[in-house]
Amino acid sequence: MKTGGRVTNWVANGLSRDVVAGVVVPGRWQGVDLAIWRSATGVLRAWKDRCPHRGMRLSHGFVRGEGLSCIYHGWTYGTDGRCRSIPAHPDLVPPAAIRAEALDCAEADGVIWVAGAGEAGPLPAVTGLVPLRSLALHALPGQIAAALPGLRLFPGGLRGVVVLGGIQTSLCLLLQELARGQTMIHALCGPQDDPVAVSRGLEDLRRSIEQGVAA
Amino acid sequence: MTPRLHDYVLSASCYKVRLMAALVGVRLDLVAVDFHPGREHKGPAFRALNPAGTLPVLETGELVLTESTAMLVWLAQGHPGWTGDGSRSAAAQVQQWLAFSARLAASLGMARLHDMLHFPADIDGCRLAGIDCLREVEAHLFEARLAGRLFLTGDRPTIADIACFPNVALAPDGGVGLEPYPGIRLWMRAIRSLPGFIEMPGIHRLHELRPAPERGAA
Repeated sequence: MKTGGRVTNWVANGLSRDVVAGVVVPGRWQGVDLAIWRSATGVLRAWKDRCPHRGMRLSHGFVRGEGLSCIYHGWTYGTDGRCRSIPAHPDLVPPAAIRAEALDCAEADGVIWVAGAGEAGPLPAVTGLVPLRSLALHALPGQIAAALPGLRLFPGGLRGVVVLGGIQTSLCLLLQELARGQTMIHALCGPQDDPVAVSRGLEDLRRSIEQGVAA
Repeated sequence: MTPRLHDYVLSASCYKVRLMAALVGVRLDLVAVDFHPGREHKGPAFRALNPAGTLPVLETGELVLTESTAMLVWLAQGHPGWTGDGSRSAAAQVQQWLAFSARLAASLGMARLHDMLHFPADIDGCRLAGIDCLREVEAHLFEARLAGRLFLTGDRPTIADIACFPNVALAPDGGVGLEPYPGIRLWMRAIRSLPGFIEMPGIHRLHELRPAPERGAA
């Protein structure tokens, strides 16, 4: 997407509070599956979802301390992406060439952003709003935008003031394309808005958009 | 007597009972039933025990129970907290989720039996109904988390969580992905972190809860 003449390819991949220390979760950026993980001390990383050993999804693995381990044979990678241990060869120092493939990731305003390594412009700003929740729709970003003419497009998603769940809310929907025609919405709202009302409003919105897509 | 569970290792409902027993420290005698491909549960010997021909069956010495949620109630008896905090509201909420677990079995559970064991089913209908269920759980857990609660009915787990957990966690076996549900992911992690948690094929324990094996250890 273009922003002020500069290209940004940051894509929201979740809310910070949903990726707590010591977990790995699946992510997706421009059709590439990701493993997004946070170390015990809070370092966040976004890597391609593929163990260099046998191609197993790293998002099925587990985080112990400052490393991510593959569930298949236990190869463990440090936050720098380098393989640091291979359980079947405990005396081997893994060659430096064995490393997970990293994308750029950053956090701001409670949102996790991912972009291609070294390619990204400035982070889209969602200052002044609070993270609400993430939910998936069986609809494409364009269909979501078309259903919400009150919101304007900005890098990363849609934002504006709308009536949702019976209340007026400052809404920001960060859009992330998933596989099979699904889109993940990472929603933020105004700090004074009732989160339960906005969440239920988003459920209604999802029903009406999906009915429109199916029709 | 030691309660005897007629069991099939891949059954989500049998796992519910094994998991509950492990969490409250009750030992079970396990009797493996050749559910697939032998269909032993549909034979006359098994039907003499349970005319419905379904698994699991729990023989307590006094009762023969054939519904997994009833087995959870039986196992949780005498273990305070697992059936709620004793309030009317908690008791009703637990029942709400026990009933809901039947919807999970009929949707996500049936999709899994279709994909894994070739059960006849309206697979698209099962998956869509399963996604509806997952969305309800996710929305509920979001609101619970706002109120500072981690589990379905409060700040500690009950039989409601154990009744719902297996078919949710095994949803990918039936072709329904869990990627879009951050709240469900945190809830499943909290259940898998409980002392005494046991695994089944498709639901592994959290390896990170134990230190890495010592180098050179057998």
